[in-house]
Amino acid sequence: MDKLSTQRLPLLKRNWWLKHRFFKLYMLREATVLPLVFFTLCLLAGMVALLQGADSWQGWIAFMGSPIVLALNLLALAASLFHAATFFVLFPRVMPIRIAGHSLPDQAIVAGQWAGVVAVALLFFWLLGRV
Amino acid sequence: MSTDQITTKQITTKHISVKRYLPDSSAEPYWQAYDLPVDDSTSLLDALNHIKEELDSTLSYRWSCRMAICGSCGVMVNGIPKLGCKTFLRDYEGEIRIEPLSHFPVQRDLVVDMEIFLEHLAAVKPYLIDDNPVKPYDPQAPETYQQSPEQLARYKQFANCINCGLCYSACPQFGLNPEFLGPAALTLAHRYNLDSRDHGKKQRMAELNRHDGVWSCTFVGFCSKVCPKHVDPAAAVNQGKVEAAKHTLIALFKG
Repeated sequence: MDKLSTQRLPLLKRNWWLKHRFFKLYMLREATVLPLVFFTLCLLAGMVALLQGADSWQGWIAFMGSPIVLALNLLALAASLFHAATFFVLFPRVMPIRIAGHSLPDQAIVAGQWAGVVAVALLFFWLLGRV
Repeated sequence: MSTDQITTKQITTKHISVKRYLPDSSAEPYWQAYDLPVDDSTSLLDALNHIKEELDSTLSYRWSCRMAICGSCGVMVNGIPKLGCKTFLRDYEGEIRIEPLSHFPVQRDLVVDMEIFLEHLAAVKPYLIDDNPVKPYDPQAPETYQQSPEQLARYKQFANCINCGLCYSACPQFGLNPEFLGPAALTLAHRYNLDSRDHGKKQRMAELNRHDGVWSCTFVGFCSKVCPKHVDPAAAVNQGKVEAAKHTLIALFKG
């Protein structure tokens, strides 16, 4: 019998990622983009509303304050923090930083990235607090 | 289980199910269950050997060194790629399902055809490419192949691959597209690119810097989880992306 004709190669089904926990976590990481898309669309709508005039702007502010939109944007915040947490851990593996021939420990790079997040957040709180 | 609790005095019976595929007698694969005596030291490879010798001589599987260096006894254990010799039945309660490695064509029982993996390995030129006109046997070049421990440390982790193929069974991107060069081949390419004695990076970049090269990887990261030698192929592939991006930028400015 021909060697190739008897070989069996099951194709990967669409639900391959439901097979175990690791793949589900990966898909969760990738799915964090969905609430973020909603958030960016909100921002875009805000820009358009700003260009259209005061009434439109007030309408947009009311829209942003509605409970469903607030909940979705809180979800987007949680999703982006989760994505950041997974990404920051991966970063030192992709770009190991070497200073004077010694590689920086992974924890230091992860901590540095979180410090960056805190710094940017504080900067924005300060900027918005001044308005 | 910690090692101080391991005992070889207590023998229990465990059930394992093996996915059988015998193309000569049946076109469809089927599950076959075996009961075997095990103690805490019984590896999955021991169990398969016991089946072959005592229970069912028709079972086919690959093995050689039984000490995680030949890389031939890879199988799926409850859906996770594992080396049979490095997997112990004491760590499994309840059902143990053994299947051939995923994403490779199955020839018979637990034996898969790894030809495409070997083709991908060869495609990245996994050997030192030396364009130095002065060869090591030339008395004028006594230091050609010298390498410092620091230079060795840069690629050593990526040189520990034993070509077992577990990472290919763990990689959904390879499962969806067998033309993807895959974790081990891309890691080996990166290993030679990092080697101070090598000058073949340019040649390898042609293979790495294309859709079926590093760019098919989406950093699922499961390859690094299943790697029995802690090579961390996901890190190597994604470092390869950085290198490929640099290569593209440099080529852009050079025109």
